[in-house]
Amino acid sequence: MAVKIRLRRMGKKKAPFYRIVVADSRSPRDGRCIEEIGTYDPNQEPSAYQVDEELAKKWLANGAQPTETVNRIFKNAGIVK
Amino acid sequence: MNGRGFWKRCKKHNHDFLKNRSVKKKYLTLLFVFCIVVKVIVMEEKIRQGYLYDFYGELLNDHQRSIFEAYVLEDLSLAEVAEAQGISRQGVHDLIRRCTKTLEDYESRLHLIDKFMHIRDKVDEIRTLTQQDVTDASMGKIESIASEILEEL
Repeated sequence: MAVKIRLRRMGKKKAPFYRIVVADSRSPRDGRCIEEIGTYDPNQEPSAYQVDEELAKKWLANGAQPTETVNRIFKNAGIVK
Repeated sequence: MNGRGFWKRCKKHNHDFLKNRSVKKKYLTLLFVFCIVVKVIVMEEKIRQGYLYDFYGELLNDHQRSIFEAYVLEDLSLAEVAEAQGISRQGVHDLIRRCTKTLEDYESRLHLIDKFMHIRDKVDEIRTLTQQDVTDASMGKIESIASEILEEL
């Protein structure tokens, strides 16, 4: 059972706001997620992100797969190289 | 324009190369293109697709929309979308590419996102101005920004 770290789009139309969530790759659509580990706000200039580093590292060590977008945020945050 | 001769001439006449009109034009065009490229790269693809979806998503048909939603709003991978929809990964990839292209095409004709961003930036400017002390100068600035917004609409 694969666990993924992905962005979930919240916010309203034309004002995107994302949460970085840890979720099971098989139940993505019903909105269940295992844990919330941060946020990403592209509205601000430059885009603002906030990540719980400890949790992110814990999940990465446990083999959770970040999506490409999340990976880029992690790189910016200095969590992965 | 032969590069060496040009520089020699510049040196001889002690010209700043930006004073040469055609060179200035070329230089500025290059800079402009560069800025656009940087802007596109900076605005992440999925975020961009999210905006495209917000503005033009209703123009996609149901099938396209459900796949585009799953990929862009839920950040699922191509393989995951494919599995959920019962089509091939390649199929999802093609569909996303095609949808993005169609939506970008709408944007290139209608410029709704572009306008929206500009106006939002200007409203932000006004907001920062109103947070400071109100002076005649800031009121004048607000006035000019307001007329810029009206022009854009």
